[in-house]
Amino acid sequence: MSAPLPEVGDPPPRARERSLTYVDADRSLALRTDYESRETLLERPAQLTVEEIGILELWQTTEGHPHRIPVGESVEGYGVFTFPYGPVTMGVPESGAFDLRTYGERVLEIVPEVGYKHRGVAAALVGRSVPDALLRVERFAGNFSASHGAAFLRAVEIAEGIGVPESELWTRALAQELQRVYNHLHLIARVAEAASQNVGVAQAHALAEESLRLTARTFGHRWAFGALASENPLRRLGPDDRRALGSRLRELDREFASLWELFLSSRTFIDRIQSTATVSRADALRWGAVGPTLRASGVAWDDRLRAPTPPYTDLFVPLAQEGSGDALARVLVRQEEVRSSLLLLDQILDRWSSMRGGESAPPAPVEPGRGIARLEAPSGDLVYDVRISDGRVRSVGVRTPSQANWPLFALGMRGGVFTDFHFALESFGLVFADTDG
Amino acid sequence: MTYAAGVLVLTALVGLFAGAPLSLIHRRVGYAATLVASGLLVVAAILVLTGGPVTAISWSGVIGEPESIRLDGLSAFFALTAGIVWIGTSAFSLDYDQHSSSRLAVAYSLTLGSIAIVLTSTNFLVFLAGWEAMTLASYWMILEATGRPNRIFSAAFVFLAFGEASSLLIAVAIAAFYAVSGSFGMMATSIAGPLTSLVFVAALLGFGLKMGIAPFHMSEWLPIAHSSAPSNASAVLSATLTLAGVYGLFRMLTLLPEGPSWWGGLLLIIGAVSALLGALFAAVSEHAKGLPAYSTIENNGLILVALGIALIARVEDLPTLFTFALFAAFFQALAHAITKATLFLCAGYIERSTGTVDLNRVRGRPKAGNAAASGAILVATLSLAAGPPLAGFVSEWMILEALFQSFRFSVPALQFLGLLAGAAVALAAGLVVVAMVKFLGFSVLWKPVVTDRAPRRWGLGAPMAALAAVIVGLGVLSPWILQFLTPAASTLAGYSLTAPVSGLLAIPNGWSIVSGSPFGIVSPPALAIALVAGLVPALAYFALGGSPKARRTPVWASGRPPNSIEATYTSFGYSTGMRIMLRGLLGTREIRQRAGPAVSAEIATPEAYNVELEVLDVFKVFYDSLARFGLWFAEGLKRAVMPGRIGRYLAYILVVVLLVIIYTALFF
Repeated sequence: MSAPLPEVGDPPPRARERSLTYVDADRSLALRTDYESRETLLERPAQLTVEEIGILELWQTTEGHPHRIPVGESVEGYGVFTFPYGPVTMGVPESGAFDLRTYGERVLEIVPEVGYKHRGVAAALVGRSVPDALLRVERFAGNFSASHGAAFLRAVEIAEGIGVPESELWTRALAQELQRVYNHLHLIARVAEAASQNVGVAQAHALAEESLRLTARTFGHRWAFGALASENPLRRLGPDDRRALGSRLRELDREFASLWELFLSSRTFIDRIQSTATVSRADALRWGAVGPTLRASGVAWDDRLRAPTPPYTDLFVPLAQEGSGDALARVLVRQEEVRSSLLLLDQILDRWSSMRGGESAPPAPVEPGRGIARLEAPSGDLVYDVRISDGRVRSVGVRTPSQANWPLFALGMRGGVFTDFHFALESFGLVFADTDG
Repeated sequence: MTYAAGVLVLTALVGLFAGAPLSLIHRRVGYAATLVASGLLVVAAILVLTGGPVTAISWSGVIGEPESIRLDGLSAFFALTAGIVWIGTSAFSLDYDQHSSSRLAVAYSLTLGSIAIVLTSTNFLVFLAGWEAMTLASYWMILEATGRPNRIFSAAFVFLAFGEASSLLIAVAIAAFYAVSGSFGMMATSIAGPLTSLVFVAALLGFGLKMGIAPFHMSEWLPIAHSSAPSNASAVLSATLTLAGVYGLFRMLTLLPEGPSWWGGLLLIIGAVSALLGALFAAVSEHAKGLPAYSTIENNGLILVALGIALIARVEDLPTLFTFALFAAFFQALAHAITKATLFLCAGYIERSTGTVDLNRVRGRPKAGNAAASGAILVATLSLAAGPPLAGFVSEWMILEALFQSFRFSVPALQFLGLLAGAAVALAAGLVVVAMVKFLGFSVLWKPVVTDRAPRRWGLGAPMAALAAVIVGLGVLSPWILQFLTPAASTLAGYSLTAPVSGLLAIPNGWSIVSGSPFGIVSPPALAIALVAGLVPALAYFALGGSPKARRTPVWASGRPPNSIEATYTSFGYSTGMRIMLRGLLGTREIRQRAGPAVSAEIATPEAYNVELEVLDVFKVFYDSLARFGLWFAEGLKRAVMPGRIGRYLAYILVVVLLVIIYTALFF
């Protein structure tokens, strides 16, 4: 006798596991999804979190930090109703849903409903060897694979206290920056697509495709799967390959510069994203924004500058920062970061031959067998908390940038109109796969 | 023939009033009496329109002037329109009125009777008496709105205040008329002199108040929407009480000379503004009775626009345009009264079957109950949204067609005014579509989530369906209806007119309505035949056993369980786009209040708040402040004059008496 077929709208069977905590609750911001009640809760434990430590370093205070995401059906009024959007609908690119509270036209409140994309990656890592686990970590979210892989590996290295060859660290940086270029180009294209900038969109997609092909040429995979494994035979990092990559990237830089001129000349595009989904600096700090969202709100925080790991300690990292906190500011930050990542790639390729040989020792772990690593993924601060013993992963906690930025999206959309939705969603760079894991 | 018509008119009048005492036996007896009397009135009006004017009875009035009950072409047209409406509302009331007392039925029949007096009187004194009776009877009808002891006085008082202002202005118009003509006779020949403009303006404002035109439109929507007046009362108020205003204005125009062209210009301005305002507020109204009430403002505005074009065309010596615009005004009055009455009955049906007049909460439940009612809602809303070939389509087309011809005017200012009025009317027509689609969509077309079936109520459905059939008939047969209305239009014109009906191309003569010579042409019967002919192949296909090429699937709710979510787009949400886009006109503002706990020290619960998006009628603000000023002034006067000291009060009386003496000494 076979099991009953699932009903339309049921969460996928694997997602029925109840209440998954992505990060050890005592250490970091946790996004919980209750798959029975379909509730999304973002909770902060009372202790200082990794994120709060970052804010504490910046502003010497963590006051006014509430502990729950400001989403929830709390608006009432004449004619106010819930407009369900997703999970299988036009306009939401992944399996994710939203409940919009509105009286028509204007979004009074938006409740992201995550969990549809849940695959249980963190749980699937437990008990595996590090190379085996890396294979899965890279598939957490394909377009952030290098960042996830690098953060995981670094956490493992901190936990085990093993040194890494300098060349591996540089390779990781190379893969991450290439992927950052792709992600930012992709998101700029998506935002422009929502504004029907068809010529610019086609060009931006072409450039994003070019960056993917360069990743494939360098690491043997478009999404850089396997790029961080030192034994990967497909990696092509010889002098000729580096020279060819460098010249292609400089070409990409020139083409992007002219493309950006095109975008800036479109008044409709700029007008549409200006003052759309604005996040104030106070809100960005209060709700723990990360990455371009945080920097677009006027906070100078970038893990590559604030908590640099090699090789960023040796490189010149320009800081992209805007003050207005709207979709335009976030697009501007991403545009600046495309340029700065290309500059970083140029530096990495240029100094590759003068790289110091030998191994780089990781910092001491917070406790034996446990490593916490954070780095700047394309969408922001990514945290991995890995416990390991006897070469086997014992537990993994992840706080991804998408998880951190959902409250800001929900806040920014308040008071906007329906058509702001896509500009907002794409400008925040929120990825359901990255959220659900 | 003439004798029979006279007897019929008298019997109808007696029957309408007899409804009041008969209601005391049982309210249904009263409604049956008004039903029969309305039928007699319709027959009498048809006899008059085909056979010529009829004087039923005449007597010598209190000041020695002849007074009579008489139907001529003009009054017969309005009696016909009102009669058809009353047949529908009376038949509807038989089942609809379930109040414990029969007071509503008494007030209803008194209102009908006094409107009939207004329509049939030939002397302004009788007319004014009927007018006042009409105001008081309908005031009582609104008071009986809830059917409960706690009556809603404020809405009724607004109605009464505007009604008395109307009576006052009409009295001024009649006094001025008397000063010029020396007679109160309404069938007298036309007057001339400097006071005619005063007569015109006072009559326009006085009758306009009853028509609910801007800036007096509050008199129309507020009593209906705020007191939630019963639907039979609302239908009588909105369809026939405003019709009495239209009649008064038309009647006054038969007595006035050609007049300067600014008369027509004034009508154009007031009409266009009313049409636009009415349509705008109809589009953002969520009240099943408020929405039709606003739509009445729009439609009465359209009547004034058509009349304005006609008056200007008469001054400009454009007889073809004059005839066409005049017929447009008459047809609009006819089409609107019947369609609006139907829509109010629909609102009553919705209220009865769903227990709410809030379109947000109606949600398609009326559909489950009664096919006739659903069909009536469909026809009435489509007609008001000018869907061909219904009555509303014909009148809307005629009015726009008349406006298109404002280029024929010789004065550039009038041409420009015609242009502006045309733009406003076209915009209003578009906004009304929004309103009507909302009414239709959130009542009949909505796929009901709730599966409980409302009980079949043929007692309500049949009158609605009958009126809907009249709407279809009026539209499809409009060329012949226009010819039938010729005596009415000729009465106003003062000479014999020919209906703007012709044939063109393959369409037989008399099947098309033409404007100009010919400027534009439309043939509703041919249109209807084409529509039906288009359906014939499809019907034949099904008749021969063909199956519809349709696939039925469960509702796709974005991948969520269809029943778990209430697919709840509210009617409010449907028109919020308009509220936001036109916030300059509507004065939209959002009122936000915290309703929940604040951020606590340890945990921040979601911040609950209440939000209301309000639209504002600037005129209501004006009247509100006027009312406040009135209260403040009266209170102040009371304190100053009557503080409880006899001396000061006597001094006040003395001053007033002296003033009166001085006034009479100076002017008489």
